[in-house]
Amino acid sequence: MSAPADVVTLPSPPRVTRRWSVRLADVPVVPATILLIIALVAIFANQLAPHDPEVGSLTARFKPPFWQSGGSAKYLLGTDQLGRDVLSRLIFGARVSMVVGIMAVIVAGVVGTALGILSGYLRGWVDQVIMRITDTWLALPALTFAIFLAAIVGPSMWNIVIILGITYWTRYARVIRGEVLSLREREFVHLAIVAGCSKWSIMARHILPNVINSAIVLGSLMLGVVIITEATLSFLGVGVPPPQPAWGLMLSDGKQGLMVGYWWLTVFPGCCIMLMVLSANLLGDWLRVKLDPQLRQL
Amino acid sequence: MSSGLKGREPYPAGGTSAIRRRDLLVAAGVGLTTVGLRPAVAASPDQLTWGVHVSLAPTWFEPAEASGIITPFMVLYALHDAMVKPMPDTALAPSLAESVNASEDGRTYEFVVREGARFHNGDPVTSADVKFSFERYRGIANALLKARVAAVDTPDARRVRFQLKEAWPDFLTFYATATGSGWVVPKAYLEKVGDDGFKKAPVGAGPYKFVSFTPGVELVLEAFDGYWRKKPAVKRLVFKVIPDEGTRLAALKLGEIDIAYSVRGELAEQLRKTPGLALKPAVVQAPFCLYFPDQWDEKSPWHDARVRKAASLAIDRKGTNEALTLGHSEITGNSIVPRGYDFYWQPPSPEYDPDKAKRLLAEAGFPRGFDAGFYFCDSSYANVGESVVDNLLGVGIRSKLRPIERAAFIKEFGEKKYKNIIQAGPGAFGNAATRIEAHLVKGGVFSYGSYPDIDTLYQQQAGEMDRARREALLFRIQELMVERTIYAPIWQLAFLNGIGSRVGEAGFGRIPLFPYTSPYEDITLKGT
Amino acid sequence: MARFISRRVAYCLLSLFLLSLTIFLFVRVTGDPAALLVEPGASAADIAAIHHRFGLDRPLWVQYGLFMWSLAHGDLGQSFYYQTPVLDLYLSRLPNSLVLASAAMVFSLLIGIPSGILAAVRVGRFWDSAGKVFALLGLSLPSFWVGLVLILLFSVYLRWLPSSGAGTPLHLIMPAFALGWYFAAAHMRLTRSSMLEVLGSEYIKLARLKGLPESLVIAKHAFKNALIPVITLAGINLVIMVNVAVVVETVFAWPGIGRLLYEGITFRDFPVVQGVVLLAGAMIVIVNLAIDILYAVIDPRIRLER
Repeated sequence: MSAPADVVTLPSPPRVTRRWSVRLADVPVVPATILLIIALVAIFANQLAPHDPEVGSLTARFKPPFWQSGGSAKYLLGTDQLGRDVLSRLIFGARVSMVVGIMAVIVAGVVGTALGILSGYLRGWVDQVIMRITDTWLALPALTFAIFLAAIVGPSMWNIVIILGITYWTRYARVIRGEVLSLREREFVHLAIVAGCSKWSIMARHILPNVINSAIVLGSLMLGVVIITEATLSFLGVGVPPPQPAWGLMLSDGKQGLMVGYWWLTVFPGCCIMLMVLSANLLGDWLRVKLDPQLRQL
Repeated sequence: MSSGLKGREPYPAGGTSAIRRRDLLVAAGVGLTTVGLRPAVAASPDQLTWGVHVSLAPTWFEPAEASGIITPFMVLYALHDAMVKPMPDTALAPSLAESVNASEDGRTYEFVVREGARFHNGDPVTSADVKFSFERYRGIANALLKARVAAVDTPDARRVRFQLKEAWPDFLTFYATATGSGWVVPKAYLEKVGDDGFKKAPVGAGPYKFVSFTPGVELVLEAFDGYWRKKPAVKRLVFKVIPDEGTRLAALKLGEIDIAYSVRGELAEQLRKTPGLALKPAVVQAPFCLYFPDQWDEKSPWHDARVRKAASLAIDRKGTNEALTLGHSEITGNSIVPRGYDFYWQPPSPEYDPDKAKRLLAEAGFPRGFDAGFYFCDSSYANVGESVVDNLLGVGIRSKLRPIERAAFIKEFGEKKYKNIIQAGPGAFGNAATRIEAHLVKGGVFSYGSYPDIDTLYQQQAGEMDRARREALLFRIQELMVERTIYAPIWQLAFLNGIGSRVGEAGFGRIPLFPYTSPYEDITLKGT
Repeated sequence: MARFISRRVAYCLLSLFLLSLTIFLFVRVTGDPAALLVEPGASAADIAAIHHRFGLDRPLWVQYGLFMWSLAHGDLGQSFYYQTPVLDLYLSRLPNSLVLASAAMVFSLLIGIPSGILAAVRVGRFWDSAGKVFALLGLSLPSFWVGLVLILLFSVYLRWLPSSGAGTPLHLIMPAFALGWYFAAAHMRLTRSSMLEVLGSEYIKLARLKGLPESLVIAKHAFKNALIPVITLAGINLVIMVNVAVVVETVFAWPGIGRLLYEGITFRDFPVVQGVVLLAGAMIVIVNLAIDILYAVIDPRIRLER
């Protein structure tokens, strides 16, 4: 992306930072705190977890949480079907869910935003090709697509990231393209063209900073979708492979226990997923209103 | 889809009471609206209802299309009947045939059709139907059967004679147990309605006749009073497809169904504890085992037989069996041939000795164990894998579970794409020789390598006419397999099912290695 | 206008063509139906016989050509697993999916619209948060888990509703709720934002100035206008619900299209997967087309824009 040295002083693109100047007091406290806690737990999982999350003992299976009869302080939230500590698995699961969720959103976001900008700015055949692919992608139900990708690349945590990223990039591409279509008619873009900036430089330096807000808002809303899809893939047997502790996998593995009374196998990971997705959505809704009024229709 | 494991812990009282309390709250809140909402339970006095785990397909009404999986026989045993078929007492029970006679030279088999056997439409079963059914058969092993059978003669309406090109000791195994070629359909009716018409309204000679079917949803059958063996005890059978096993258990508890197929792990444990319900295991023809595809690679740790032996010694089969299948699976030392197959060799029971395993690993040069890479398995049996990976870790063999969705797993396994450790579960019909062909010798569908002496022995037995000598050769091969730990055995899987309080005789486990309820004419409701 | 429409239609056909190619290759890359129709370890001859029967021994381009040829004749082929025409299977399942989706839509709107209105009318107050959280909860729990909890509660413990299957309206309640709840959040969000937009409009200000009571302003004027985009979205979501209910249909043994597709994938039943995906794709593409055209009719600038 070679940008020619431009000597002309350009009117700077609308200050992006201004939109960020939201008062911190407005931040919805509860969801932000929850996400922060989950993030901290994920980072310090090694220090926090009392047991190895992947190794259990067949003699200590299905221990209930400590407050129930039969429970012990050794396993605060009980043990699962292989005698592994549920609390430790939840703690390490936070890491897997955070990594899967955030990385998948980033993969989808980067691919989708890049293609959206290319498509919207370059127009012509590039636009045609990208939009036709996007249409095709959107016509294929996301889960079907994910199942096939999982069968092709095989399940592993990083493959799930790729799968979810590839499945969901279209949502970005569509929205971002729409924004770029109107941005490219704006004055600062015209001026940049007059000033002799290359199209790559315009896309990178003038268009991108102006769509990044939308991408962030979309990302926060996609986080929930991605986490739920990850859990659903586990239910269908193609999610993050055991014995790795992922919340979705724990929920799907423990679901039979629900009918038997081993409620802690699903209620805890279920609550974790719920809290994370709910917080991400609430935060996303707030960001949407704050950052990008145009996106309200989404 | 999910791992299912049983709990040894007593049923946690706190958990239930918590749920009960919440129920009361909800019930109090909505209590007024509940009058008359209670669903009608499908417990009509002369009907039994099944909750089936797989989707029912019309191909299952068609013995000619038996493709080599056992599921269609779930329906075939009700709708149709075979000349000779596996029954509770014997693997080769004359059914529509009154008698079977093999000639001295082993090249002619003569069957006499049972007097009075009739199809559901009233037509008598004749030798022409038998010949017709054999000739239109197009399912598994069809090429083999057609290549070896020279002619089928029908000297009279009740006698059928199969002429073989040469003596074939396994003819009856294939005709009567491993394929659908011996199952008889009515020639006249089929010629009238055609293949598609037959699938829409099948007519057979089995204990139950077809009433209605919605693909993938529900099948209804009704007793055929003219069945030769006996009049079926239950008037109507309904098979409902319920894919999720938790839902199946719920339906069984509610009395919506009477028999639930495949209820595993904790659910099975729950089932066993629920008053009125009973757990019914059936050991099937799939022995589970570990395969070491790198054993022919001199650089791999698995090349050393001691390492493979150590892996086998590390597996806590009893503990895993208790945990996963409530102790109902059969622990076996024979990794690929199930007990009950022809030429099955009974090895000594496999040992569980982690200390000895560690010693063997140390002798082989791995005192601290080694990193064994991926452990590949069919994701439907990832629960077995999880447990075994844990066991292997216990002696220092560090592997990482890699469950692959079934279709992709079988494809890639067969394409020889895997390395390190593969968890296999051979389930094909046949006998010891067919299993050895697929899993041990050169060119086998699932063999990643072979040993020359075993290949030679296999060649010898294929041309061996004398049964005793052939048996000796096949036994020797299986012995070598165990000696060298080419595979590490796990168990012969038990299929766990549940029955409700209305069921008298369910028919589980009566026919050896058959996972479903059969024979249907023996199934009863309580009190009848 | 005619040119715009014909171009959009051409794009749609192109998308569907790409979709057919994608799904055709996808199913074939990831597994072999023959391997699933026999137990592992079957002889190569038997596998070859099955391949031959299904026409899988021909070159890929021939298979694809045949697929397209019969498609052009309205034939989606014969299911490998069921051995019946895919179209028959599809049509036998479609009514169930439509019933489920419609009932789910009712639940979804019953949750989404009131909570959206509450949230819009009481911005930043307790009911705003409560409504939002309840609608978002449906989005925050995997539907297989919601389904199992519902079965546990309403079938096993309370015994009010049948656990699974289809047939009576009672069978419909739980799967429709589980499916509808998931979509409620989208309807809540749109109701809220479009209510806010309408409430801020001159028209409403005028109504208020006329001295109408606030409740009447909201009920009669604001709600009516805010409803239009919500109904549009509901229309799109209805189509999506018909096609994506895999998990709910599996848990409740509901014989719909989602399960047909999922089982098709599990068994690598190529014709079923191809057929169902194409029909689902066609539905989605047609809805998108309809919306594009609708908007173009309403707002001519769009025609030039795109």
